[in-house]
Parts: sequence; structure tokens; C-alpha cells
Amino acid sequence: MQKSTFVYATYIRTTPEKLWAALTQPEFIRQYFFGATQESTWKPGAAWKMTLPDGTLTDAGEVLEIDPPRRLVLKWRNECKPEARAEGYSRMTYLIEPGSGSIKLTVTHEIDKPASKLIESVSNGWPVIMASLKSLLETGKALEEEAPCKH
Amino acid sequence: MTRKNDIMKKPKLVYETYIRSTPKKTWDAITKPEFTRQYWAGVANVSDWKKGSAWQHLAPENEVWVTGKVVECTPPKRLVLTWADPDKLKDVSRVTFEIKPVEDMVCLTVTHDNFKAGSKMVGKVSWGWPRVLSSMKSFLETDKGLNIFAGC
Repeated sequence: MQKSTFVYATYIRTTPEKLWAALTQPEFIRQYFFGATQESTWKPGAAWKMTLPDGTLTDAGEVLEIDPPRRLVLKWRNECKPEARAEGYSRMTYLIEPGSGSIKLTVTHEIDKPASKLIESVSNGWPVIMASLKSLLETGKALEEEAPCKH
Repeated sequence: MTRKNDIMKKPKLVYETYIRSTPKKTWDAITKPEFTRQYWAGVANVSDWKKGSAWQHLAPENEVWVTGKVVECTPPKRLVLTWADPDKLKDVSRVTFEIKPVEDMVCLTVTHDNFKAGSKMVGKVSWGWPRVLSSMKSFLETDKGLNIFAGC
């Protein structure tokens, strides 16, 4: 089957436990996700959602797999852009791999559909979010502007 | 690595990151050996960085790991290099660094493309770029690179 896949790896000077907290605690997420946050009870099958500071629901789904502090798989559907929402559910995986001196975090976002609008959209978002997360964990200060790089 | 095109197409690696730094400091981090050595596993990028000049990627023992020519050099915005293993000069590819200021940070995009058919370099650099650029960001933001090639 044809798929659309986005993969991004970053290396962060932190511990798996701190990184896991940063990926799953709403008040932590808000700091590097440019105000958006995510909520869930983080149990297999539990509901998951992402909201903006004004309460707008942007994405929702459920927890497919959770193995702290190593792996989180979410079922993920866009809820605010009709064209992306119509594509249905995607899968987003965070994989944490410890190394010497830094932790590798890989984000894989995929959908069983060629030329996906959702994957195109998240491809523009993940690099700056991962950069902001890395800055927050390494310097205590996230990035402030969600300005995408114009190519 | 962010995007790898379909197998039918030629591979193109694109890695984008955002660094709380200035274009000048980011440019220096790529082109000055005293900086590259601090975050790029001890390696130095050496050249006079003029169009048409040679450049070398020198290991700590001065062994040449990568060599090529400067195709385009527009400080502190855009640097285009050819890239080849000195033992396999026919397997040449191209690297483009683009630096754009965005508020109090820069957007750095590294594109590695123009690989020859069956190139052995694709696998090596898709392993390396996320490591090197993560370490560069740490170096520019915290003055300390990452131990990126540990265990390899």
C-alpha cells in the first residue's frame, strides 16, 4: 500500500525520563509546542487530544501503544482542517533511544495514503517543535516563534 | 532525516532545524575549523571558502574524510559544496546549507542531493546529518556539542 511518511530524528542532552515527561505532561508540552498542548490519561486505548490556548481542538485520537520511557504510538486525526480531517487517522510514533551523552528521539508520522495533506502539514511543524523541545531541555528555554522556514 | 523521496526518484535528504543564534555565528560554526572541531566529532572543515576552491573535511589526525569543491558561497546565507569520499571521487554528491534569520533564531536547512546512482554515500549521510546538526544546535545554544559519533 502507498503511504505518506515523515521521519525526523533529533539528539538531545537529557535523560529518557525527562524526555518522556516533556512528551506527555500538558504543562511541559505547552512550553515547546508554541502554546498548544496535549491531554490524555496515557493508558492504552485512552482518548488523546491536542488543543490551542483558546480551547480550539486541533487534533484528536487515542493511545495505541505506550511503553514509558521508550515508545508512544498515537492514532491521530486532524480536527480543524477539513481537507486533512477527511484523510482519517494517521499514526504518530515517538521512539526514545538512549545513547552515550545524548538521547535520540525519532518522530514518525505516517498515513496509509499517498500524497497526504496531513503529512505535508505536519512535515512543516515537527522540525520547529523538535528544535524547541531540544532547546527547552538543554537550556531551560524553548523557542518563541513558530515561524516556519520559507523555502 | 526528514524526507526521502520515492525509490524511483533520486534520493534527496533534507534536514531542517531552528537554532537560537545569529546567521553569522551559524555560518562560522559551519566554516571555521576551531568551531566545527567542537561539535562535529573533532572534524575540521577547511577551505578558503571561495567559489571553485577545494574544501576538506579533516579528521583529528588530519586524515581527509570528505573532499570537494565550493560551488557557491554567500556568507552568511548559502553555501553549496560538492561532497565525496577521497577514495571514491566518482561517487560525488552535493550539500547545500541555507541559513535564514527568523526572529531571535535561525532556520538552518541542509539539503544533500545529486547522488550518483547506487551511491554508498546516501546511507552514511542520512545517519550522520541528524547527529551533526543536533550537536551544532547544542553547541550554538549551550557552548557544548554532543558526543555524536559515540559507539559507532
